Amino acid sequence: MKGDRRWGWPGVGGAARRRRGAAFCGSGAAPGGTIARGLRGTAPAARGLTAGHTLLRPHPRVSLLLHRRSAAVSAALLVLLAAVMLASACLGQTYVSPAEVWHTLRTGSGPYDLIVGELRVPRIVVGALVGAALGLSGALVQSVTRNPLASPDVIGVGHGAAAATVLALSTGMVASPSAMPVISVAGGLAAAALVYVLAWRHGMQPNRFVLTGVGIGVALSAIVQLYLTDSELEAAEQIKLWLTGSLNGRGWEQAGPLAVVLLLCLPALVWAGRALRPLGLDPDTAAALGVRVDRVRLGLTVLGVVLAATATGAAGPIGFVALTSPQLARRLTRTPQLPLLCSALTGAFVLVAADLAARTLLPPLEIPVGALTSLVGGPYLLWLLGRRTATR
Amino acid sequence: MSPKNLAWPAAVLAVAAAGLLSLAVGTRAVPLSAVLDALLHGGGSPDALVVRSLRVPRTEVGLTAGAALGLAGAALQAVTRNPLADPGILGLSQGAAAGVVLALSFGLANGFGGYVWYAFAGAVVAACLVYGIAVRGRGGASPVKLALAGTALSAMTAGGTTVVLTSSSATLDQFRFWQVGALSGRDAGTVVDMLPFLLAGAVLVLACARGLDALALGDETARALGHRVQLVRGVAALGATLLTAAAVAAAGPIAFVGLAVPHLARRLVSGGHRAVLPLSALLGAALLVGADVAGRVVRAPAEVPAGVMTALVGVPVLVVLVRRRGTAS
Repeated sequence: MKGDRRWGWPGVGGAARRRRGAAFCGSGAAPGGTIARGLRGTAPAARGLTAGHTLLRPHPRVSLLLHRRSAAVSAALLVLLAAVMLASACLGQTYVSPAEVWHTLRTGSGPYDLIVGELRVPRIVVGALVGAALGLSGALVQSVTRNPLASPDVIGVGHGAAAATVLALSTGMVASPSAMPVISVAGGLAAAALVYVLAWRHGMQPNRFVLTGVGIGVALSAIVQLYLTDSELEAAEQIKLWLTGSLNGRGWEQAGPLAVVLLLCLPALVWAGRALRPLGLDPDTAAALGVRVDRVRLGLTVLGVVLAATATGAAGPIGFVALTSPQLARRLTRTPQLPLLCSALTGAFVLVAADLAARTLLPPLEIPVGALTSLVGGPYLLWLLGRRTATR
Repeated sequence: MSPKNLAWPAAVLAVAAAGLLSLAVGTRAVPLSAVLDALLHGGGSPDALVVRSLRVPRTEVGLTAGAALGLAGAALQAVTRNPLADPGILGLSQGAAAGVVLALSFGLANGFGGYVWYAFAGAVVAACLVYGIAVRGRGGASPVKLALAGTALSAMTAGGTTVVLTSSSATLDQFRFWQVGALSGRDAGTVVDMLPFLLAGAVLVLACARGLDALALGDETARALGHRVQLVRGVAALGATLLTAAAVAAAGPIAFVGLAVPHLARRLVSGGHRAVLPLSALLGAALLVGADVAGRVVRAPAEVPAGVMTALVGVPVLVVLVRRRGTAS
């Protein structure tokens, strides 16, 4: 945190500060519209300072540089997220009209309280929080590794969570895979720490990090495979379902810890929004600018791993959200680095929408949302590929 | 002799030792003399039966699949210019898995022999799709586009197979034993079925060895040196696809051999891909069969599948290699 002052790039600080406010609203899944109000309240004082940015002076002593496109995209994503959350509360095996949903939410009673208040809304909230956490952690990990194909899974989080769960199940510590978020969070953290320690040698080098992570991931998933073949079919089915990642039966008891973790991470995320930027440069340049590259990387990685592990504990290892959300968000905002706020919003939107589809596509069968995100994420990546003109 | 020159005899010795152990070690230990006797003269003793009907096919599958995976891994890492490339990256393993799942859920196949062709077809279709997608657009099939297309298709097919697996327990029950990657219970015909593809793949990949060396310098330099970049990449990828598809069809999606063996081979010899490719094949065969043998011993009388053992044995090796490689990559 001490390093902040020294980065002092003209214009960057202001934009980061703007992002700081924005990150606050989005990650906590705070009421929509806060950002929009903030924007309207502060008239642009100058234009054309930096291409694509607007200088905001809400107070004589505070000046912010706002990336106009990012702000617009964030607002649009918030609207989309709100819309899909509402749709998710309305649709399902029983249709509940939006008015009824609103009534139920406001009064906490009524004929649809069980369906909307106790089943759908908690699940939607968990979905949005998990999606936001995954999107954020994906952006952080991809920035640290400078690899668009990296995700928290690549550095061992999902595999660690799965292996810890499987070990706990096979030693009889717990009865059901979904009943043990603590163990899976611990497993994810431990695996990521192991990867980090093993990859550390005179500093952190992104390729080595990713390569070690892939290796450890292979070993951990081998343990899971062994359990799958060793166990009874019923236990194998259960663990397979958990491994796919599902929001089925998730509620406030999962949402609570996740929300707390996200809130606790907010100050760190504010720092991260700013610290990400120099990592886009090559390490030597960043170091020459006064960035302690290794420390920043460690900080960002820890943050990303904590977020991903908590999300995994809540919903199981849901694939592809962490991988695609930051890339999608960056293509929307057209910023040089991965935008944290937009990644979180994109992740939340994607996961809530995917869960809605998973619940409603093949009634009465419910597809695990993790399978659906992979099914949808694949074509998205292909589409991206088709559109891409330059190779990186 | 320098350590670099010792790599070849050591690798050959390792393959031979692993093969012999694979014939001798197991729930029923057979002395080496009896193994040789059974191989040379046949005979009807229980030992000879075990060796000839169970362990020989298993060892054959292990040796060929391991060699194919090692060779394919080395070629794929050169084609995609990505040290993480392995059969998974071009969507081959998942394609094969999708083929198996389809065959199982429609009741088309029973037993390991039945899966083979579906797995092979799935892997080949996946590879064609990946290449077809990556080759579109400007710049042709660049390494990044290949890797991205492979990852994308993998994820998609994984999602599809998961939908089937979570809804049909009968399919999961059979699929989990294929997916873990085991050499046990393979019949002798598997290798014979796959041999033409393995040979064709090996010839294609080895023919590209010089071109692959040039690719490592970058597309433009390779072109300036007189190599037809897209041709080299296409032929090598085709060869690697055939090798991997055949190996995965025969032995299941065995992780790590294709990923780690080329790294080891590159450390052991110099001389570019003309040396790295054959050494990768040898080391891959030794690793897979050795892992299979270890898997029979670790939890005797139960078995740890070879796919699990390769991962557990190989990962520490990979980590050490990655740590020793210095900062350049």
